[in-house]
Amino acid sequence: MIKAEPRTILNFLHTYFDVVRDLFEFQSHDGLISKEAFDMIVKKHGQQNIVGKLKEYRIVRNIGSDYEMRDVYFKMMEFLLFEFKPLLPETIEKYKGAISELYMKIRLGENHDREILQERIKNISHQIREFVDLVERNAFRLLSETRDLKSNIERVEYRDKVHKASFWIEYYILPLNKILDVNHSESVTNKLVEVSEYANRKRLDFGDETIRTEFEKLYSQLIQTNQDLLRQSKILTNELLPLLERIRTESLILTGFIEFLRHPYRTQTPPLLKGSRTMVYAKDMLFKVKEFFEQFENQESVYYEESDAQFDKWIFDRDLFKTQLNAELPVKDFFGWCSQMLLKEFPNIETEKFFAITGLLFDEDLNVEFPKKDERTIIETLNSRINLPKIKIETPAKI
Amino acid sequence: MVYPTHHKRIVEDLMGGKFILSNEDHYNSLKENDKFYQEFFKLSFDLELVIKPEFSYLLSKESQENFSRDVSIFVAILCYELDKDGQNFMEMLDYHEFNYEEIDRYFENSSFIDLIENNKTLKDQDSRRTLINGMARRNIVHKSFEDRFVFTQAHRVFIEFAKELAMRKMAVSQPEATNEN
Repeated sequence: MIKAEPRTILNFLHTYFDVVRDLFEFQSHDGLISKEAFDMIVKKHGQQNIVGKLKEYRIVRNIGSDYEMRDVYFKMMEFLLFEFKPLLPETIEKYKGAISELYMKIRLGENHDREILQERIKNISHQIREFVDLVERNAFRLLSETRDLKSNIERVEYRDKVHKASFWIEYYILPLNKILDVNHSESVTNKLVEVSEYANRKRLDFGDETIRTEFEKLYSQLIQTNQDLLRQSKILTNELLPLLERIRTESLILTGFIEFLRHPYRTQTPPLLKGSRTMVYAKDMLFKVKEFFEQFENQESVYYEESDAQFDKWIFDRDLFKTQLNAELPVKDFFGWCSQMLLKEFPNIETEKFFAITGLLFDEDLNVEFPKKDERTIIETLNSRINLPKIKIETPAKI
Repeated sequence: MVYPTHHKRIVEDLMGGKFILSNEDHYNSLKENDKFYQEFFKLSFDLELVIKPEFSYLLSKESQENFSRDVSIFVAILCYELDKDGQNFMEMLDYHEFNYEEIDRYFENSSFIDLIENNKTLKDQDSRRTLINGMARRNIVHKSFEDRFVFTQAHRVFIEFAKELAMRKMAVSQPEATNEN
């Protein structure tokens, strides 16, 4: 039982990350952290006072007088630093046994206890997840090793390169390929395809709904798993198996590119000038838009006081004007007609009222005819003088 | 004052981040007036002009320029994949006419897929088209058809970059051997 809050442990890891990383690296290399190395690392960082906390938070534990980083932290550091230890395929192959056994028990126990069946499905899912994770980590590490060989930054002799490549191929790449080869009846991938087909059937026809849902989840997981494994298998076939052939050639340029691709965002690339482009909108558009929206952010209360003063309340009666227009068709000058209609009712023409009536022009029933010559009419409103074309409204054709 | 011929085009192209290639009309004028332009860009914009026998371009003061990084990743992955495919990648960059389908095949089957999927200019076919169009605007590639392109000599900037990086890494990795050489 750890007394500290999870967040406190994470904060501790964040604060003393450099110490934990050094401990991790030492253990990756030597398998164990000797007492001398442990003392040297904490002393190097001037953090002798954290030894107690490292034990209290169960980050390290004593092995005799030496130390060992606990597996969960070791794996987390591997993941964070992307520094995976290559696993011998024998370690990965053990999943075949676990998955096969659970699969057999699920099939044989279909009609027995519901809860144990549900647990077994969850367990097989967990085993599959672990298996895929290990395959991906191993493939990543093998890729990294083989890229090292291809890059050959240390410029080792061709004979030594072949020796190294043969070692990787014989002990790691070929056996991993066997595990992933879907056409091989004994491969784990082949077994997973079998489980996937079974889960597919059961998610549709199993009697119990809860179990059906579990099979559905397992099936979805297996679809993704099979895609991921296929991708790893492709990498093995295209990139790792032809390793001997690939390391025959060497190029300084390719070495540079491989080294660059290790940390593409940490390496300075050729300093090309960023071209300036002419934008169709103004450069200060962003600020203007911001300014526009900012005015609505703090809205002040507005009080409206009703006034008793009389004002002209004129509402455009569309139907009335349309009936009058239809009665007077054909009209030779539509805008002139609008102004006449207003003058019948008011002593002057207000622009707003005039435009309200001209809206009739958009009525689809009207047979509008535009002038062939440049014939204009001038309408004088209270505050404007509007120059408009003479638009003719014809009597609608009778069908 | 009389300016060299093609002055406007030279300034516009270089300030637009373009490479001026030796087979273009205004390259000769630029090269003949090398000193004038070096001084012109330095005094006017505080920029350094690089004139090589095959192309010319302006150096940026900004070290974190994304376009250069994206093109470097693009060229690096392409060279790696071409080599994996058994091709002589230098010959391919010099003479081969690439088509989009071929590029997509190399990138989609690459073992650098995590890097590709996490880079917004490389992650899918459309993004790669946009990057290639950007490279065409800068004269790094020349589009022979809508879906085909060849690298111009400007690609050598990235080749030189890879060479220098390899040399630097090798010097760190084997300092004695390098010193002896």
